Amino acid sequence: MTDVLLVGAPNSGKSALFNRLTGLKHKVANYPGITIDVGKGCLSSNPQVTLWDFPGTYSLNPVSAEEQVAIASLRSALQDPQDALVAMVLDATRLEKGLTYCLQVARDAAIAGKSFVVFLNMMDLIESDELELDVSGLSAALGVPVYPVSARTGAGMAEAESAIQQAGIGVAPWADTPDALITGTAQQIGERFAPAGDLLVRRQARLDQWLLGTVSGGLAFITIMTLFFQAIFTWAAPLMDGVEALIIVIGSTVASVMPEGVVADFINDAIFGGLGAFLVFVPLVFILTLIIGALEDSGYLARAALICHRPLSVFGLSGKSFLPLLSGVACAIPAVYAARTLSSMQERLLTYVAIPLMPCSARLPVYALLIAILIPNETALGGLIGWQGLVMSGIYFFGITTALTVAALVGRMSNEDRTGQPFILELPAYRLPVARTIVRTALNRAGHFVQKAGSVIFAVTVLVWILGYFPNSGQDLSSSWLASIGRFIEPVFSPLGLDWRYGVAIIASFLAREVFVGTLGTIFGIETADEDPAPLADQIAASGLTVASGAALVVFFTIALQCVSTVALLAREAKSARFALALMAGYLVLAWLAAFGIYQLAGALLS
Amino acid sequence: MTSLSLWELAVGDSRDIVSVCGDTADDAVQRLIDIGFREGQQVTCVMQPGFGAPRVYAVGGATYSLDKQTANFVRIAGEPGL
Repeated sequence: MTDVLLVGAPNSGKSALFNRLTGLKHKVANYPGITIDVGKGCLSSNPQVTLWDFPGTYSLNPVSAEEQVAIASLRSALQDPQDALVAMVLDATRLEKGLTYCLQVARDAAIAGKSFVVFLNMMDLIESDELELDVSGLSAALGVPVYPVSARTGAGMAEAESAIQQAGIGVAPWADTPDALITGTAQQIGERFAPAGDLLVRRQARLDQWLLGTVSGGLAFITIMTLFFQAIFTWAAPLMDGVEALIIVIGSTVASVMPEGVVADFINDAIFGGLGAFLVFVPLVFILTLIIGALEDSGYLARAALICHRPLSVFGLSGKSFLPLLSGVACAIPAVYAARTLSSMQERLLTYVAIPLMPCSARLPVYALLIAILIPNETALGGLIGWQGLVMSGIYFFGITTALTVAALVGRMSNEDRTGQPFILELPAYRLPVARTIVRTALNRAGHFVQKAGSVIFAVTVLVWILGYFPNSGQDLSSSWLASIGRFIEPVFSPLGLDWRYGVAIIASFLAREVFVGTLGTIFGIETADEDPAPLADQIAASGLTVASGAALVVFFTIALQCVSTVALLAREAKSARFALALMAGYLVLAWLAAFGIYQLAGALLS
Repeated sequence: MTSLSLWELAVGDSRDIVSVCGDTADDAVQRLIDIGFREGQQVTCVMQPGFGAPRVYAVGGATYSLDKQTANFVRIAGEPGL
């Protein structure tokens, strides 16, 4: 049994290499600091070999929480008496940036008696640009075996696999080298062996002239973000329509062949009505993850972080908070993890405050349902802009603005000095996103979304159906057990113009926001059991939900922190359960007050 | 020999780094040294986005964006090297 410790600088392609070697699907992206925890997997061709994927760092001197974790774990692994090989991943196109860390780890590995090899990654770019890199000369200078590989294309992977399993690779000859000498030696080796010329830097600079220009950069950012939010809704719409039509067809077919009774009613109302209403929105999550993946892989996100640095600093944050906040658009959980890359605890806490307010994908089904009910499906500017997409962009804008404003207010209240946080960010090379990688990531995310939310939604749907169906066998929902419970909590939601059905769905959504849609699907499924199956949005629209109440619901869901997993993770990462619970309670009160305000305002304007 | 702050380097210009000032116990200084902002290295200013946004510098074959406060830790030669 052998352990292989995969280490390297940020964005050197360690995780992509790890995925190639293990067949696993760890998240990879063209942005420094994507790996924030040590990953583990077995070599796909030999399960006896375990690979450990360490978060990237520039040296053995940590400056952020995730680097502290990486370096402490690496030092502990080096002290482990078990046989281990240290594999340093270097980016061949940016050789110099990884060499100091390479020699530091080679020295520590040599002191611990561990073997050491180098995987020279991204050789496909060196070859495609016809650059020269003397691999055997580099190997001689480093005193260790160097294997040219490309995790993107798979080139050199067979040799890398056999190197990992090969016995007798020696330790690096750097055991007695002090830090001061290591830095100078790394610089000399870099100058001698790095690809000649600055072709890659110059090519990148040409694109940066546009994407980071004072005017063009701002316009490009606004255009990309607008297209991003428009595309989520516009591209997902045909897929959502397809899933909805399929569920209705299957539901009608099943209903026509099943004898009438409790089982048929359960399948119709709870499975096709409740769970089906939720599944309609899965394509939204898929498209959202696909677009974020494409942005991450292109190298643009680091530029967006740079552009956002000044605007975010107004709110007490920095450009480095951009990635955690954008991740929060997909899901708060990875966003909270991504905040580990922030070196300042104060900035991390403010980012934690903002993340739960970012419009996450769990809110998307709720927004999409309410938009479908309240906003006509019409377009403007010759079909270029859809009103529903525009309202969705507006809701996202509202959520993001609320997040930043609350972070700024909390920052000002804390009275801590927020100036003086250095901003250093590597700008990765631009590259075309790899379709296979981003589609796979998006499918994984959509699958995870169904798995995680689906099980909770199914359990809640069954409970809601039982309470709504009995004691009168679904004949009259208003006299069911569910209606009795709903009327008990109705006073909380009636000031928002919402009856007990919405109150029940909101309470249920505290387990997970998506449950709201499934619960309403079940309730309306029972209520309209005698009618032809129809999309949930049409059923709710026909029931007379007002625009003011719909707007109140949108505002409530924009602010409320209805995610148990996020609260638990925040408590752990902030090392304070009080902080997480205060955030949950505070956002709940704020959500209700804001929803009440918008209900009154919309009511006054529309009357 | 006169030296300038890295922040004063004009777009497209390159200079040798004279020193990285500050305490290496400071995270920013240590990180600058780690990523290649070291004495004798040549640094190029690639971009100066407007409105006081961080600037983009190329050093050691990679590009980094630094804000003013961080760039001021790096002193560069007042004249181009020969």
